[in-house]
Formats: sequence, structure tokens, C-alpha cells
Amino acid sequence: MKHFTKTAAAAVLGLGLGTAAVAQELYVPNLAYRTGPFAATGIPLMNGQADYFTMLNERDGGIGGVPVNAAECETGYSTEKGVECYEKVKSDALVTQPWSTGITLQVLPKTNVDEIPILAPGYGFSPMADGTVFQWAFNMPAGYWDAASMIVQHMESEGDLDGKKVAFLHLDHPFGKEPLPILEKLAGEKGFELLPIPVGLKEMQNQSAQWLQIRRERPDYVVMWGWGAMNAGAITEAVKTKYPMENFIGVWWAGHDADLRLVGEDGAGYKSISWSFPNADAPVMRDIQELVIDAGLSETNPEEASGVFYSRGVVISAILGEAIRTAQEEYGTAEISAPQLRWGLENINMTEERITELGLDGMVPPFSTSCANHTGHSGGWMLEWDGEKFIKASDLMTANQDDYQDLIAEKAQEYASSNAPWPTNEECSATN
Amino acid sequence: MLYRTAGQFKTSYTADQALFPVRQDAVLLGVILLFAYVIFPLTASEFAYQTLLIPILIYALAAMGLNILTGYAGQLSLGTGAFMGVGAYACYKLITIFPWMNPVVAILLSGVFSAGVGVVFGIPSLRIKGFYLAIATLAAQFFLVWLFEKWAWLYNYNASGAIQVPNLEMFGVYVSGPQAGSTTQYYLVLGIVTLMTLLCINLTRGNLGRTWKATRDMDIAAELIGINLMKSKLIAFAVSSYVVGVAGALYVFMWKGAAEPNVFDIPLSFQVLFIAIIGGLGSILGNYLGAILIVGLPVVLNLVPAAVGLSISSATVEHLNVMIVGGLIIFFLIVEPHGLAQLWRLIREKLIIWPFPH
Repeated sequence: MKHFTKTAAAAVLGLGLGTAAVAQELYVPNLAYRTGPFAATGIPLMNGQADYFTMLNERDGGIGGVPVNAAECETGYSTEKGVECYEKVKSDALVTQPWSTGITLQVLPKTNVDEIPILAPGYGFSPMADGTVFQWAFNMPAGYWDAASMIVQHMESEGDLDGKKVAFLHLDHPFGKEPLPILEKLAGEKGFELLPIPVGLKEMQNQSAQWLQIRRERPDYVVMWGWGAMNAGAITEAVKTKYPMENFIGVWWAGHDADLRLVGEDGAGYKSISWSFPNADAPVMRDIQELVIDAGLSETNPEEASGVFYSRGVVISAILGEAIRTAQEEYGTAEISAPQLRWGLENINMTEERITELGLDGMVPPFSTSCANHTGHSGGWMLEWDGEKFIKASDLMTANQDDYQDLIAEKAQEYASSNAPWPTNEECSATN
Repeated sequence: MLYRTAGQFKTSYTADQALFPVRQDAVLLGVILLFAYVIFPLTASEFAYQTLLIPILIYALAAMGLNILTGYAGQLSLGTGAFMGVGAYACYKLITIFPWMNPVVAILLSGVFSAGVGVVFGIPSLRIKGFYLAIATLAAQFFLVWLFEKWAWLYNYNASGAIQVPNLEMFGVYVSGPQAGSTTQYYLVLGIVTLMTLLCINLTRGNLGRTWKATRDMDIAAELIGINLMKSKLIAFAVSSYVVGVAGALYVFMWKGAAEPNVFDIPLSFQVLFIAIIGGLGSILGNYLGAILIVGLPVVLNLVPAAVGLSISSATVEHLNVMIVGGLIIFFLIVEPHGLAQLWRLIREKLIIWPFPH
């Protein structure tokens, strides 16, 4: 009984503290996945995201003087847990970071009702770029269609694509099928043969059949839209079948250091398109090292902190931080609301100067958003595995947006009409 | 004392065969219904609706469908998730092809499609039994999920490959889609689940139920006393798949709002099977108890650390949660291998003879 009284007292105290803490903070919850089948990629991303905000809180006392509360809600990448987390945080949240295509698709239709912006950086649903239709959804700095366009550009830079064969190894899932319309279109224009090879969710770790097909077809390039365990599976198979690694190109989620470390030297030459880059010498990384990691406030380890995914987490948080700052300046208040943050996300202007000011030198390409353009369409770098780490193998590339401008508008309109009544932003006059 | 049955005389066969021959049972059910229909809607928050009330009802309904097949007719099935998918996709197609259709009618009709598919995959049950049948239904599971991915017509050639629930109106109120209120959806789900429960109770008590039980207990003996096994098994597959299909349609239209094909993959089948097994095979009440334990408890457990003021990281809570729920499942199965429903049956029996046990 005595024990119970103590617990009860602690509970009351805890609740008191809990409400006190809510008063002055910027609540940007993160639907994290540190558990479950994709935890290997989730942990470095979440650590990067959390450490950036911890660093801001330690160094500047938050953003605009208000501390950031980047609490996590664990989903384990499951859509059901995602709904639970969304319902749990939505009353106070400034933003939803769903971290899975499935959760994004579930939350997306509710945004017009709940009026909380979704930040799905570089994943989710490509037509989300159309800000006039998807008023509350953002996927900067670039989308999958940008990635497909840049990868084709890279292949073209190595010689005319006419008559060549490109295998498209992809996860058989909405995410993996996303770039297909663009690749098909470009294949028709440039005259290369596209060979889609799907990898089922259940065969991610055993791709012998797919690689047998690749060996038989001898494609000039293999483009991979892989995720989670699929990447490591594909890379080890590629090494086993002695596929020339320099002709093997992955999307940005397929550029995870740990996957390549499995094969080490044998993986040298493997490429991955990316719109973030780990620059250990960037001021922001030094601040994180000093104020967060050395101070023992982080869960990360040195090897992970130097990787691509950790720095991607940092970049994503930095973009969110910049949006908060933009909104604070516009509305003249430090404690912004969710609709105000939406304005901030819509008016990010990440110029080279601004990137240097934020201390993100070389970690993210410049981009800007508008009420019509919710993706930013930043350029990207082709990263290459040199046997030990990823290095930049190209200058900044930019996607050829004309290729899919109409497609974005068309698909966005299609979504809006099948979800009628769906309010669109009529005031916005800018073009994507 | 509370459950004293002395003095409740039955003077006719009808009274003796009533749904609740013991008055206290009827009163208890009345109280539960009062909570479900009046008190919960008055007090529940959005969070409670979306994470506890609605999913528990839908999962309980799915488990009930499976229980008819596995618990009453004795045919083990691992394809529940896929049959739920058939219901969901059928409902999606009905709604998009006939936009004027009443959503409730569409949901109830979509069960017909999954019943048809269920019967087709139930045909092997005439020749094979037990674990071998489980493998045959597993084939349905893999085939159907594959079909949901490959047959683009099913999701209207949507770029994302997922089905999205549109806003649907009924008598001027949104009942489905992002514009629908949680209370409306809850009442709709509750209404359909009540209806289905009533149907299931009566089916399992009647002639058909007895046929199923005979088939389950010993099919050769059942055949000898004149039961048509083919009819009995296929009807079990049809009824079970119908209920499961309706649950699947509710799952997407009244709860999730969007679904990708892999949502209906084997983990969903297992989850529903666990609810049925832990709740109690061959029982209707058990499905609800099982759903509360498997679907509701983890949500509540997730809230505990924050409510007590402990700051544990969200990932740790999730790990603890899995361990606690897993431990509880083992505990309940050791204490009562026949499931939670049997546990309640024993408690009730003890209450009836209390305070004078033999």
C-alpha cells in the first residue's frame, strides 16, 4: 500500500511536470522506427534528427529562444502503430513526420481536416510536389522523379543511351514503382530498353532469381529502387555475380554505409544518387560532436555518426528548423502554430549563403519552395562507394523537370478528384 | 449470490432454449451494450475511438469469422488476412463503380465476394484436413496478396498501388473518408458488428452450428449420421469468409482510410488467428476478449509510462510492450489453454454455486 501511494504521488507529480513542460516549446514529434524490420536504417536517421535539435537546444536555447521538443513515437514502420502515434500527437503537434509511405498515405487525406503539415522528406508520393493540391504535404529537398531524371542524366553522361539496356531492380511496393512512369518515358525518348525487375517484400534477402535474370540479360546498367534489407541483398548478390559495380546505381535510400561495408572493397564503384552528403567538417557536425555526442546526450556511435543516413537525419531536421525560423520571422512570434509552420515550409529559401550560415556546408544542395512547389526539386550528387566510405563522384546535378511537370499536375488532380471534396489553394499563382 | 440461478424456473421449451436462460447474463449484456452504445460515445476521445474502440470491434468481427471456420467447423485457415483484403478491395470497387451506392450496403455486399473466393479456396478441405488444409489456405493468402499487387484494375490504376477511401455520404452525413467523424464511424461499425454477432450466435446455436460441430469433432461419424460433409464445410467457408470480408471492408473504410496490398499479408492472418485462439476457439464472446487483449492492451500499455511520469524512450516502451504482451499471452494460455472465454465460463460457474462449492 505504501508503495502504491508513492507511485501514485509520483504519477501526480509527473503529470504536473508534464503539463508545465508543454507551455513553452515547439513540439515537432517524429514517428520513429527504431524497432522492426527497417530499424537498421531508422536508427541512424532518428539519431541524426534528434541530435540536431538537441544541439540547437544546447547551443541557441532552441529556435527563436523556444526549445524544440522532438519527442519520438515509435511505429516500428507499421501503419497501425502509425495511426496510433498520429492520433496521440496530433492535438499539440506542429508537424507530422510519418517516415513510411503507408503511414503517409493514411495521414495525407486527413491533413485538410486536421490542418497539420506533413513533412515527408524525399519519400512518400511524388505528386505531393503540387502544393496547390497538396496544401499540407511537403517532400523537399527532392522527390523520386527528380532522382530518376538525374540517374538517367548520369548514365547519358557516360555515353549515348540509344540501344542500351537498363535493368530496373525495384521493391515490389508503391515506393519501388514510383519512378516507373518517368523511366518508361525517358526510355522511349532516349531509345534505351528498360527492364523492370521486381523484388517482392518477402524475397528482399534472397534475390538469386533476380540476379540470375540480370546475369542472363547483361544490362548495361542496373538502377535500384531498394529499401531496408533489399539493398544489402542486392549488393552482395551483385558482388557474387561479378556485376561491374560502377554500372550499379541506387536511389538515395540505397546509399547506406552499413550495406556497403558488408562487401567493402568489392563494392567500390557502386553509386547512389543523393541530396544529402555527410560532411564531417561542416560546422553543424562539429557542434553536434561537441555539444551533443561528447556531452553524452546522444544515442549514436562514431561510426554511425559519420555515415550518410545520420547526416541525412541532420539535414532533415535542419530543413524543418529553417521552416520554423521562417514562420517565426513572418508571424513575429516564437511560438508558432501548425498552419503558421505550413507557411514556413512553403517559403523556405535555402540559398548557398543560407546553407553556409546554417553550417551545413556541402551537406544539402540549395533549393527553395513556394505555394505551388512543395518539393523544392533540389539537385543532387552522385555518391560513389570507394571501398570505405561514400564520396561525391559528380558535381551538383539538376533534374530535368520538364519531363514530368505535366505528370505531377495530372496525378495530383486525379488524387484530388477521387477524394472530393478536396480543397485546393486557389490563391496560389506561382507555378511548380 | 450475484449469479444465483435458483428460482428461475423454465416452464416451456422455448424458455429453456432462450438465448440467455440465466437472467443475470441478459442483465450483464444489457450493461455492456449500454456502455457500448451510450457511455463510450459520450466519453471517448478521438484517440480512444481510433486506437481502441473501432479497431477492437473490427478485429473481433474478423476473429469471429475465423472462429466459425476454425472453432466451430474445425477447418484450420491461415488465409484470413487475404479474405479481409478481398472484402476491402470488393468494397472499393463497388464504391468507385457505383458511387451512388449506400456505403453500408456496399460493405455488406462486399462480404459476398469474399464468401465466393472463400468457397473456391475451401474446396480442397473436402479432401485434406488439419495442417495440410492450413497449407492450402496459406496458398490463398499468398495468391490473393500477389493479385492485389499485380491486378491494377483492383486499385483503379492508382500510381501508388494503394486504395484510398473517398469521402462517402449517407443521409447527408460523412460516414467514411477523411471528412467523417469518429463517432459516426464508431456507431456504424458497432451497428454492423452487433448485427453480425447476432447472426453468428444464432447460426452456431442452430441446425447449421450443430452440423459444423459434428464435422469438427469427427467427420467420419458425422457422415455416418447423415451429414453432408461437402455442404457443411463449404457453408462454413462461405459464412466465415463473408463475415471476414465484411470485417475487411470495415477495416479499410471505417478505420484505416487507405491500404496497400501488403497490409493484408500473413501477419494480419496470424494476428486474427491469435485473437481467436487466445479468446477461445468455438466461442463468440472469446473474440471480443481476445481482441481486447491483443489489440487494445498494447495501446493502453504504451500510455502507461507517460501517465506515470517515467521518461522512457519510445523505442524502449515498444520493446517492453512486446515483451509484456507476449508474456501475458503465455500466461493466459498456461492458466487456461481453452482461451479467455473458458476462463470467463469457469468464473461464471463458480459465481453461480458460490458460496457453497461442492
